[in-house]
Amino acid sequence: MIELLAIGEPGVTPEPPVRAVQSDGVSVLCTPAPEGGRTAEDLWRREALVERLLEAGPLLPVRMGTLVADEDAAAAAVAGRGAELRSRLEHVRGAVELAVRIQPAAPARDLRARAALLAAAEGVHDDLSALARDTAERPGPELLRAAHLVERNRVERFVARVHELQAQHPDLAILCTGPWPAYSFAPEPER
Amino acid sequence: MSASLIDAERDVALVDLLDRLLDGGVVIHGDITLSVADVDLVHVSLRALVSSVEKARPQ
Repeated sequence: MIELLAIGEPGVTPEPPVRAVQSDGVSVLCTPAPEGGRTAEDLWRREALVERLLEAGPLLPVRMGTLVADEDAAAAAVAGRGAELRSRLEHVRGAVELAVRIQPAAPARDLRARAALLAAAEGVHDDLSALARDTAERPGPELLRAAHLVERNRVERFVARVHELQAQHPDLAILCTGPWPAYSFAPEPER
Repeated sequence: MSASLIDAERDVALVDLLDRLLDGGVVIHGDITLSVADVDLVHVSLRALVSSVEKARPQ
């Protein structure tokens, strides 16, 4: 079995253990499937592989755990979706994903206090979204969980703005991580 | 993101990594096996992690 890691532009030539399968105008980047369970360290190693691939050009990560029998099956997996995937690769070209989660700095005293925190979190979110090419809200237990697609040369500015907003909102905890590959900006799954 | 962590706390980043690995990325249909059971252990520790991150404060 092989695991699909990411979709890239046609003609990508990765280093082992990653292989590129050409299909429908995209490269399907894959590795031998892991055996047994995965530890947190395995996940970071997988992430490092995807991030190295990202240095070569735009990339759409594939949902973790997507396994196929062989390279023919890897090619078949994207057959018919080339146009959609190439359009999405253009959308993320030159940009990275920054994760932002906003939580109360301390547990809210009551519902009214929580509503005020939520309104403040939404203000922070709108402010940061203005610096991003695209923004996706994600479900989560926080006041707000979001992913921002940010041009590489605007990442520093984005992070500086996070620090400014944190200083302005001591009642909120703003957690920002990245840069990540564009996990949250893949095509919508078909329904 | 080893060298480029904005928040140095790796546990905070693991929450974001798992969120992306399990819910993000291109979803492939057809003749595939979706193997997420193999991250069960990490997932269980994530639950503990999310509750601890709930209490996390910025510096």
